[in-house]
Amino acid sequence: MTPGTDHHHVEPEPYGNPYLVGVLLGLVLLASYAILGAGLGASGGIARVGAALSMSVAPSHTLSSEYFGKWGANPLHYYLVFMFVGTLVGGLFSALLANRARIQVERGATTSVGRRLGYALAGGVLVGFASRLAQGCTSGQALSGGALLLSGSFVFLVCLFASGYAAAWFVRKQWHD
Amino acid sequence: MIDTLYSLDALGTSRAFFLALLLGCGFGFTLERAGFSSSRRLAGVFYFTDMAVVKVMFSALITAMLGLSYLVGFGWIQLDQIFLMPTIYGAQIVGGLLFGVGFVMGGWCPGTAAVGLAAGRIDALVFLLGVVGGSILFNEFFSVIQVLYTAGDQGTLMAYTSVGMSRNGFILAFTLMAVAAFWLVEWVEKVRTGRAPYRGSPFLKAFSLALVVLAGGLFVLSPAPSEAGEKAASIVPPVVEKTLMGRIEKGQDHIEPEDIADRLMAGEPDLVIVDVRPAAEFKVFHIRGAINVPLAELAETLKLQKNRGLIVLYSNGMTHPAQARDSLQRQGFDNVYLLTDGLRGFQDRCLKPVSLRTEPLSMADAARVNAWRAFFTGPAISKSDVATAPVHVAMPRAVETHSLASMIGTPGLKIIDLRPQPEYNTAHIPGSLSVNLESFRGNIGGVPSMLLPPAMLAAQLSLLGLKGTDSIVLVSGDKLYDTTLAAMAFERLGHLNYAVMNGGYAKWAQESRPSDAVLPVVTESKYPVDKKADDFTVDFKMVLAQLGKPGVVVIDVRPADFYSGKKTDEARAGHIPGAISRPFTEDLVTGPDKVVSFKPTAALAAAYSQIIPAKDTLVIVHCRTGHQASQTYFVLKRLLGYANVRWYDAGWTEWAARLELPIVNETQAIKNKQ
Repeated sequence: MTPGTDHHHVEPEPYGNPYLVGVLLGLVLLASYAILGAGLGASGGIARVGAALSMSVAPSHTLSSEYFGKWGANPLHYYLVFMFVGTLVGGLFSALLANRARIQVERGATTSVGRRLGYALAGGVLVGFASRLAQGCTSGQALSGGALLLSGSFVFLVCLFASGYAAAWFVRKQWHD
Repeated sequence: MIDTLYSLDALGTSRAFFLALLLGCGFGFTLERAGFSSSRRLAGVFYFTDMAVVKVMFSALITAMLGLSYLVGFGWIQLDQIFLMPTIYGAQIVGGLLFGVGFVMGGWCPGTAAVGLAAGRIDALVFLLGVVGGSILFNEFFSVIQVLYTAGDQGTLMAYTSVGMSRNGFILAFTLMAVAAFWLVEWVEKVRTGRAPYRGSPFLKAFSLALVVLAGGLFVLSPAPSEAGEKAASIVPPVVEKTLMGRIEKGQDHIEPEDIADRLMAGEPDLVIVDVRPAAEFKVFHIRGAINVPLAELAETLKLQKNRGLIVLYSNGMTHPAQARDSLQRQGFDNVYLLTDGLRGFQDRCLKPVSLRTEPLSMADAARVNAWRAFFTGPAISKSDVATAPVHVAMPRAVETHSLASMIGTPGLKIIDLRPQPEYNTAHIPGSLSVNLESFRGNIGGVPSMLLPPAMLAAQLSLLGLKGTDSIVLVSGDKLYDTTLAAMAFERLGHLNYAVMNGGYAKWAQESRPSDAVLPVVTESKYPVDKKADDFTVDFKMVLAQLGKPGVVVIDVRPADFYSGKKTDEARAGHIPGAISRPFTEDLVTGPDKVVSFKPTAALAAAYSQIIPAKDTLVIVHCRTGHQASQTYFVLKRLLGYANVRWYDAGWTEWAARLELPIVNETQAIKNKQ
C-alpha cells in the first residue's frame, strides 16, 4: 500500500476508514451548502488562475473574450479561488500529520518519469477543458451537484466513470511495477 | 432559518472568501485523510485494485444528500437558498466523457491534485498545470464550443423529476444502490487483492443500516407534500412553531377589516391583499386591489414581497387562509396576516350600508363607511391615483402568466401586446391593445432607431387611451426584449407602474389561458408629458467621458461575434474600449414552444455580481440600436436593483459611425499580429 518509490525513516500512517472519511467529507460539503449556499469546488478556482494568467499576458484580449471576459479584470477575486488555497493548506496539514508528505513522481516501477508526467499533463488538459464544459469537476459537479440530486450531475458522474473504465486499459502501463 | 451567503448575494464579499478558505481547509484535510494525495490510489478505482474513490465519494454524497434533506425537512434551510447548477445534457455528457479519460490518464482530478500537490507529488503539479492550460484552451475556443456548452439546457432539473419518482423515494433508492455498491466493491477488492478489511464487517453492516434508516426516515419527517406550496417543509420547526403560536395567542397575526380598508384607500405601498378563493368566486366579487393566487402558487408569487411590507390573506372564512399563512411562515415569511372574519367580515363591517345596520353609528363612523362603500363598491375612478395604487404595489416588475390571469379585469390594468399585427389579430389576451414597437422609435439627430422624445411618446399613449395612473403589462412574442424597449418608453415618461410578462404570449398560449380576437374600445386620453423623468439615457459624450474611469462598468450586450468584431452590420466592427461582453441572451432561458423567460433572479444576481462590483456602481449598457440593451437595463435596474444604470440608446450604430471615437477590434488585432 505504501505509495512512492523512495524510502523514508518514518513510515506513512495507514489510511483512515474510507466510509467514515467519506462521512466527514459529506459534512464539510453540508457546511458549505449551509454557509455559502454553494457546494465545494476545485476546477473553478484553477480556471480562475488560468484567466488571471491570460489577463497578465493579454489583458484586452482576455477581457473581450466571451468566457473569461465575464470574470472581469480581477478573476482571482472569487470564493472558489480561496477555497482552492484552503484545499492546499488542509491537504498539507493532513499529509504532514500522517507522514505522507514527500517530493516524488508517483508511478509504476517500470514506468519512466517522462511517461508518467506526459500522461499527467495530457490528462490535466483534458480535465481542465472538460470541467469548463460541464461547469464543474468531480467536486463541484459530480459530488456537490449529485448530493443536490441534480440530473446533470448524475449524467456527468455516469459518463465520467464510463469513459474512465473504457480508457483505463490504454493507459495502464504507467502503473506497472 | 439559515441565510446562505448565496441567498444574500454575498459570495463576492471578503467574509465569503474567508469562509470559503476555511471550508477549503476542511475539504483538503478530508481528501488527504482519504488517501487521495496518491494518484496510484485514485487510479486504482479504474483497475479494481483500490476502490476507495467509490467508498469515499458515495459516503460523502449520501451524507450531504441526507443531511441537506433533513435540514430542509426541519425548515432550517430552503433549497432555493443554494445555487442549483443547470442541467445541460450535451455539455455534461461530453464533459463527463472527456473528464473520465483525463482522470484515468492523469491519475488525478482537480481537488485531489490539490492535496497531491500539497503532499509533494510532482505529477499532481504537472496535472494542475494541464488543468490551467485546458481552461485557457476552453476560453480560446469558446466561440466554437458555445453550441455544445448550451446544448440540451434544461435549467434546474432534479434527478427524481427526470425519472418520475418522489424526492424521498429517489433518495431511498439511491441510498440502497450506494450501499449495494459498497458491498460490491468490497467483494471486488477481496477478489483482486485478497484484502478487504471491511467486507462483511460489523462496521459496514451498521453503516449500511444507518444510511438506509436515515433515508427511510425522510418519509416520516416530510411525507409527500399534498400541496406544492408546502413542499419546503411539512414538519414544523420548534422555533417557528413557538413564535407562530405566540403571535396567534396575542392576535398579532390578524388585521381588522376597518384597518385594511383604510390602508387600501390610503394607497399604502408594499401592501398586498391576496384572495385565496377559487378564481370563479374572485371574478364575482373581491376586495378592490386584491390579487387572486391559487394556494399552491402563493410562495412563488409572493417571494418578492417576502418580509417586505404587509401580505394579507383572505377567503370567505378563516380556515384556508390560516393554513396558507402557516405554510408561508414555515417558508420564512414573517409578514403574513389574516383578515379577521375573512371576506364576510369585510362586507359586514365595512361595506354594509349604514341604513341596514342595527347598531347605531356616530356621524364620523357613518362617513367612514360611506367612503369605504364609495371606494370598494363604486365604479373605478381611474383619474385618482388612489384607485390604482393597490394594483401598483401588487404588481411585480416581471409578472408571471398566472398572476396576470388573476389581474384581468382590474380597473386601470392595461395590457399592451407587442407582437406583429397578424398574430395579435388572430388571438390575444382579452382587452389587450396592439402596439407596433417601431411607433416608439425614430430618427433623432441623424441617428436611426432612437426612442422618441417624451412629447411624442405621450401623444402615442394618448391615442391608446392610456392614463398616467394605469397599470401597464407588456406582452411580447418570442422577443422578450420587445417588452423592455416598450418599457423604456414608459420609463422615459416616468410611468413606473408597469410590468413585463415573463414568458411572452407563447407561455400564455401554452397554458391555454383565455384569449379572444376582439378589438378593445378605446377613448382617446390626454397622457401627461413628463420631460424630466428620463435621467438614464446617455449619449456618446457621456460614455466617452466615463471610459477608463475606475469603477465604471460598460456592458456590451450584443452577440459575442459582434463584440469581438468578427461580424458587423455597422460602419466599423469591434467594441468600445474596456466594455465587457455580456450578451443579452445570457439572461434568458428558452423552454419548449419557444417560451422565452428571464433566468431566475438568483442566477441573474449571481452572474451580474461577477461583473459589477457594487449595487451603486455606474453601469452603462448598450447594444447596436438600444433594443437589446433595454433588456439588460431592465434586468439590472428593475429585477436586481442596481441603482445607477444608464442606457446608451444610440449604441454601436452611432459609436461605429463616428470615426473619431476609439474602438477595439480583436479580430483585426489578431490578424495584424499574424
